[in-house]
Amino acid sequence: MLSANVEKITPSQVELVDTKLSQQVQTTVAEVGKALLGKDHQIRLALCCLFSGGHLLIEDLPGMGKTTLSYALAKALGLSYKRIQGTSDLLPADILGISIFNQTTSEFSFHPGPIFSQLVLADEINRTTPKTQSALLEAMEERQVTIEGETRMLPEPFFVIATQNPVTLAGTYPLPESQLDRFLMRLRLGYPDQRAERELLEMNTERDKVEAVNQCLSLEDVIAFRRQSAEVTTSDSLLDYVQRLVAFTRGKDEFHFGLSPRGSLAIMRSAKTWALMCGRNHVVPEDVQAILPSVVEHRLRATSDDEGHSGASLVQRLLNEVDIIE
Amino acid sequence: MELNYQIPRPALIWTLAAVTLVLLPQSIRMPIWISVVALLCVSWRALIHNGKLDYPSRRVRVVVVLFTLIVSLSQIRNIGIGLDSAASLLALGFVFKLIEMRKKRDIYVVISLCFVMSMVAFLYSQSVLTTLYVVLVITVTMAAMIALNRSSSAANHSGTAKLAMKISVQALPLAIVLFIVFPRIAPLWAVPMQTGVNSTGVTDEMSPGDISQLARSAELAFRVQFEDAVELAHEQLYWRGLVLDQFDGVTWRRTRNSSSYSRAASLANSRISYEDRVRTLGESVNYNVILEPTQQPWLFGLHLAEDINDEFFSGRNFELFNDGRITQRLSYDLRSHLQSQTDFLLLSSSRNRNLELPDDVNARSLEFARELRASVSTDREYVNSVLAHFRMNQYFYTLNAPLLGANRIDEFLFDTMAGFCEHYASSFTYLMRAAGIPARVVVGYQGAEMNPYENYLMVYQYNAHAWSEVWFEGEGWVRFDPTGAVSPTRIELGVQEALRDDPAFMEDDLFSAAIFGGVGWLNTMRLRLDAIEYEWNQLVVNYDEEVQLELFEGLLGEVTKQKVIILVATLALILIVTIGFTVINIERRIQRTPINRFYLRACKELAKVNLVRRRGEGPIAFRDRVCAERPEFAEVLTELTGLYVELTYVEKSVSETQKKAELQALKAVYAKLKTEMPVLAGLRRAG
Repeated sequence: MLSANVEKITPSQVELVDTKLSQQVQTTVAEVGKALLGKDHQIRLALCCLFSGGHLLIEDLPGMGKTTLSYALAKALGLSYKRIQGTSDLLPADILGISIFNQTTSEFSFHPGPIFSQLVLADEINRTTPKTQSALLEAMEERQVTIEGETRMLPEPFFVIATQNPVTLAGTYPLPESQLDRFLMRLRLGYPDQRAERELLEMNTERDKVEAVNQCLSLEDVIAFRRQSAEVTTSDSLLDYVQRLVAFTRGKDEFHFGLSPRGSLAIMRSAKTWALMCGRNHVVPEDVQAILPSVVEHRLRATSDDEGHSGASLVQRLLNEVDIIE
Repeated sequence: MELNYQIPRPALIWTLAAVTLVLLPQSIRMPIWISVVALLCVSWRALIHNGKLDYPSRRVRVVVVLFTLIVSLSQIRNIGIGLDSAASLLALGFVFKLIEMRKKRDIYVVISLCFVMSMVAFLYSQSVLTTLYVVLVITVTMAAMIALNRSSSAANHSGTAKLAMKISVQALPLAIVLFIVFPRIAPLWAVPMQTGVNSTGVTDEMSPGDISQLARSAELAFRVQFEDAVELAHEQLYWRGLVLDQFDGVTWRRTRNSSSYSRAASLANSRISYEDRVRTLGESVNYNVILEPTQQPWLFGLHLAEDINDEFFSGRNFELFNDGRITQRLSYDLRSHLQSQTDFLLLSSSRNRNLELPDDVNARSLEFARELRASVSTDREYVNSVLAHFRMNQYFYTLNAPLLGANRIDEFLFDTMAGFCEHYASSFTYLMRAAGIPARVVVGYQGAEMNPYENYLMVYQYNAHAWSEVWFEGEGWVRFDPTGAVSPTRIELGVQEALRDDPAFMEDDLFSAAIFGGVGWLNTMRLRLDAIEYEWNQLVVNYDEEVQLELFEGLLGEVTKQKVIILVATLALILIVTIGFTVINIERRIQRTPINRFYLRACKELAKVNLVRRRGEGPIAFRDRVCAERPEFAEVLTELTGLYVELTYVEKSVSETQKKAELQALKAVYAKLKTEMPVLAGLRRAG
């Protein structure tokens, strides 16, 4: 049930205009797709998130390919990569790093933690204690860490892909809304379809598939994407549409709270990147609709819902009830 | 410790203005000292606001209450419980409330009182002018409310006034609808109206000088409109009021042996049935009379007026009476047979009454009458010779008749020879009775002014007149007007012409209309204004339960419960829908660009062949879906969508002409879609 929503709300087909960028995206998707079968749309969304410079939260049941996706992405983009496994005894220092007294030199020397890499995979983030979570999330927001009074910059680009199990499972510390808000997108992978699953069964182990992913984008390409996506234009009609979408979530009884300005900015940022990835230099409503579920779902909650899993149906309402023309 | 609330200055200004405006028309009728008290209170409140004075202390307030009490009691003692005393009590309480207006709640009380007080004006007058004035007062009161609730930063007087006017105008349609459909319910209680007011118009007693006094007034007495555009000559317009048949040497009176105003008495009087007394001849004329309030029960009509709707009862001498004094403008329909004859048979009691003369006075006149009667053979000839006497001798028609002594008739006939119609009617009737011919005086009005704009007649107080009726064997009562013998102009052209050079005529009205009647445009304006007033009376003031019912019957046929329910429901629905639309419009007015309009129209066209763009579906997604479902539409829709997306979502700077060209292109594609539609739809069916 949790993962069934994604297919339903994805637009029929992604319209592609042949440009250099869109071709690059196409090859990357194909490359990552080698590791994660039949999940092209999710791969595309994950790329969109990274190209927009946002952090990504992947939420699904164990064994759905969350880690595979992040591994494959790191490889395809050629980014330095570290993984943090979230457990309840993980301490902030385990993520950020620690100064150790070196007896030979009689000095403290800093041993950077896994956070100091371009792509950080924070696995099972909701299994760590809130204290550790907040250390990680602070680093995500500030893009710098302060350890023992010394501020250290994180590498550029800096991405965090966090995965989490649905909070309904035992032994988890659900992320509060304010911290969920830090993630540009939340993805759900969902079960593979029949054909992909068959293919998967016919193949070797997962690890082999990730090995097969080749780097197809350089660091410069990623930075170029981020720069160009800022130049994508938005017309008045489109801004009107986005404003109506946002306004729809505010001041209604069924919405526990409306979208924040940060939320609407996230929509615009992702939609622009999406348009660029489709090879366009302007945003159309379909772009907004494509990214809307993953950008907005984790920022919304129905009034009647205590656990924060009603976002998907609310987004469906948004898509179905707010027309592109007033 | 209560907070020291300061009423916002604009709100106070508007409220004080509203209070002043409300009291202004009443100050004319109220004792002058109430206006002074009101003025004091208004200035006191203004000074409190400026910090010059303090709110009244408890002692002052007790004194004020006692003062009001004493004043009210004394007023009730002087003029009785009535409209005037009630209105002045209300006004006093109203102005005293001003000086203890501290909190927001108090100012709301004053504003609500303003609304109530403004309605008091309608108890005195329901003219167009009053109505307009009350609308003004209500608008100002509304402005006070607006000023009270506006934040001080947004408060400028013109904005407040504009908003108040806007609200008033918006309320107008609702007011009209309510005016038409709101049920007219008879009041559960009534205040005796205007007890202190003197009656106006012709009275049931006529002493010399009474009517000439009336002739000095240019007040309107009544308006008349004839059915079927009947036009009567001026000399036919004798508006009969009362028959006076008792003479004591000075005053002519109505006989009131039994209270003639009561229904029972009038029934007893007509022992001879109506049909036996009247012989109707010639054509009848129907007309409507709107009588100004006279504070008297009698009505005016032409010769032998018959009341069509059977609302009134008629007196012994075919006078008409209302049931009670006429305190409000009264409209009634009459039918008159101008040539009819009445009372061929004169009962002996009646004959005696109409021959009675006071003893021991006017000996010369008696002698004159007997001699003259002896010189002619018939009563008719006698009448003619008396009229000839008036015509031949130097009788003078004037408002300023000299004072007369004990033998009034004698002195007038033979010495002073100058008088107004009452002198002529009186002496003529006296001469008839002296010769043994039954005769009586009739008072009423003669003549009228035509208002060409609405085709009705206006009868003024200066048209008041007295004439005589003489009884002949076989003919009944016949009207004779001795004034006509003296001054034919009076009867044929009207009193204005007859008294053109008499300075006393209408001297009560300094700026009277008739004086300025000579100035063309002023006269036109006067007639127009009166025409408006007339229409207003016809349409608005006279709109009572009956007219309402008639209107509904005219619109709906017979009024049944279901129809009333349907009507009310419909009106409620219209009201709700109107309010709904207004609210929606206020919330937001959707203004679509022409591009969006054309795209939506195209979508509508496609919806006809079951290709409905879903709510929230983007143009590209829609196109893709249509292309998959109905490939025959692919070409035209792709063109349309491409253009639409280009125009709507691609941000670029274009000139106005380019924009126009683009819109033209979209229009062209839309037109193409429309023309190809049937063909494409047919393709599918054929396939």
